[in-house]
Amino acid sequence: MTSFGRYTSAETVGYSFSQPTSAPNKEHSFYPYTDNGGSTLGISGSDFAILAGDTRSVAGYNINSRYVPKVFKIGGDDESGDGAHILLSVVGFAADGQALKERLDAVVKMYKYQHGKPMSVRACAQRLSTILYQKRFFPYYVHAILAGLDEEGKGALYSYDPVGSYEREQCRAAGSAASLIMPFLDNQVNFKNQYIPGSGEGHALEPKKAEPLPRETVEQLVRDAFTSAVERHIEVGDGLQMMVITKSGIEEIYSPLKKD
Amino acid sequence: MDKLVAQYSRPRHQDEFYSEQEQRDLTESHPSISLKFDLPPLENPSAFLRAMTDDHSNPSCPIKLAHGTTTLAFRFQGGIIVATDSRATAGNWIASQTVKKVIPVSRLSRGEDTQTDAPVPGLLGTMAGGAADCQYWLRYLSQQCTLHEIRHKRRITVAAASKILANLTYAYKNMGLSMGTMLAGMTPQEGPALYYIDSDGTRLPGNLFCVGSGQTFAYGVLDAQYRYDLTEEEALELGRRSILAAMHRDAYSGGFINLYHVKEEGWVHHGFSDMNPIFWKTKLEKGEFSNVTSEL
Amino acid sequence: MVGKDCVAIACDLRLGMQALTVSNNFPKIFNYAPSTYLGLTGLATDVATVSDLLRYKVNMYRLREERNIAPQTLANLVSSTLYEKRFGPFFVSPVLGGINQTTGKPFICGFDSIGCIDFAKDFIVSGTASEQLFGTCEGLWEPDLSPEDLFETISQALLSAVDRDALSGWGAQVYIIEKDKVTQRLLKGRQD
Repeated sequence: MTSFGRYTSAETVGYSFSQPTSAPNKEHSFYPYTDNGGSTLGISGSDFAILAGDTRSVAGYNINSRYVPKVFKIGGDDESGDGAHILLSVVGFAADGQALKERLDAVVKMYKYQHGKPMSVRACAQRLSTILYQKRFFPYYVHAILAGLDEEGKGALYSYDPVGSYEREQCRAAGSAASLIMPFLDNQVNFKNQYIPGSGEGHALEPKKAEPLPRETVEQLVRDAFTSAVERHIEVGDGLQMMVITKSGIEEIYSPLKKD
Repeated sequence: MDKLVAQYSRPRHQDEFYSEQEQRDLTESHPSISLKFDLPPLENPSAFLRAMTDDHSNPSCPIKLAHGTTTLAFRFQGGIIVATDSRATAGNWIASQTVKKVIPVSRLSRGEDTQTDAPVPGLLGTMAGGAADCQYWLRYLSQQCTLHEIRHKRRITVAAASKILANLTYAYKNMGLSMGTMLAGMTPQEGPALYYIDSDGTRLPGNLFCVGSGQTFAYGVLDAQYRYDLTEEEALELGRRSILAAMHRDAYSGGFINLYHVKEEGWVHHGFSDMNPIFWKTKLEKGEFSNVTSEL
Repeated sequence: MVGKDCVAIACDLRLGMQALTVSNNFPKIFNYAPSTYLGLTGLATDVATVSDLLRYKVNMYRLREERNIAPQTLANLVSSTLYEKRFGPFFVSPVLGGINQTTGKPFICGFDSIGCIDFAKDFIVSGTASEQLFGTCEGLWEPDLSPEDLFETISQALLSAVDRDALSGWGAQVYIIEKDKVTQRLLKGRQD
């Protein structure tokens, strides 16, 4: 139902300008989370992986900031993240996301000091899962996506739920606009519902097989996905931060999005 | 009140940064699976967890966890068939169509490393309920099973493995875990063995189980055609057909049919196949599912 | 969804009670004039009631005026019919698509359950998969599509969207409406 006010009470029909007749019973309880909105998106290719996120941070209908990055480099040598070989994106509650990122960063760095070699993405993915599950009874309110290159140099992408169930995937959207972006990606990245024209009639039509896309196509898809999401979701916008990981390192690309 | 006073009368900086123990955990090289969990600073942690994550009692809960499943396993003369769907839902949103709900337990190689057609020794666990709970605890169980193998120089029995898991879920009863899992395996001592374990602490041995939101639909097909002396071919087809029926009628099941056969030498994977072509093949060639329109 | 001198309207075929799929041949699009179609999503009993109530009202209109109802007129009729039940609404959110026979221009609009009209130049979505549809339509649609391209676009948008919604799918129906031709097609969708 379309409504313009936010207050309604049981006795009166709610108009935003009418005063409540009796103060509603307010329940005070422990509520340690805020939804900071935003969306992230990752796609993996044959020799690269892309993680992208918008840079808006909201609380309710307010915009806290127009530039709060959601994609982080993990295991870099210093503050700037140079030398990192893993990317992490977190969306949900920004404070939990920040804490999670710092924790994983520390773990990956310690691993390097103790083993004298960088942590593999596979190991890091499993470790992130246990870190999330350690807080099973007081969860991190985040949807995380981890990206890097696997042992064979192929793009690797792992997606997580808030308590650490994880899966390696071709592409994944998370956050408030995930429901807008994900079906679009199914169609354009995994070619879901697409058939090869002329391969048959009716039931004999052959489905189009999914294969890794070239980098330019993927970058364009990411941009399209976000410009679409910005049009229809209030919590997404301001800027698009894209990180591309290849064997030559991590490249960061920022481009503006609509600010309305 | 005393609690509140105690909480706020502590030195303000006492809990700042990581505690010494936490710092040690961070720097340890193999801490991975432990039984130490962070709890919210509250009297009743499970009520808090329910308020935050249970979309059954509170549809607008902030943290939506993956749910919804059909899994089945049954014993027959040639071993055990394990079959699952692959859908994960958060409310009505389909979070994933490619979840692997059969988790190989025991042996350090968890099957995902190398793909071979040869049987892989070890148990199989299925996943229903909270995805993270199942993944984590079956991994924990793997660790325990491997340790058992090293200590006793022989593979753990399914009965013992299921007991480890059941004791665990019982210890965490009413804490908010959600899992309904089946353990299937074949050992020289027991032959084909199948156990059902859930987060209430239940542990049941049996011939035939279906677990998840689509269980009733699967039972319908399975009960109608199940016999202990099925051939291997028939048994695999029955497993596939039961899952297919559940995927079709249950909104929270779907995706791919994941099929396993547990034999004496170990388990064999019989494919992770998209349900849609199988459905249309079943419909057009066998004339089943006549409720679905195929022409305008 | 609007194209160049054409309009497309599509729906899935599922009828269910929560998780249980009751029927998979439940079309939700109804025809009220040669080039005017209305899609109804929501509570099944209200879909039937509202579609029949509008059928009655449109028939009365045709007898009185001796001409077919225009999409714009039907939009206002739907709106006032829904607002009559302001304090006990029908649980439906209709989508209207058609071509005005006098001007030859495409027209689409959507409604909330109490009759607020939402005019759009591009596309209208409604139902349990509306968020997913917003994403796919916004990503795939472009202006001035030919009827064939419009069919492909709306089909891909609908099928991909319902495949991410547990409560929609099980096949789909598409109508491509041109000024003097309507093509109806059935889509083979996932059955899970």
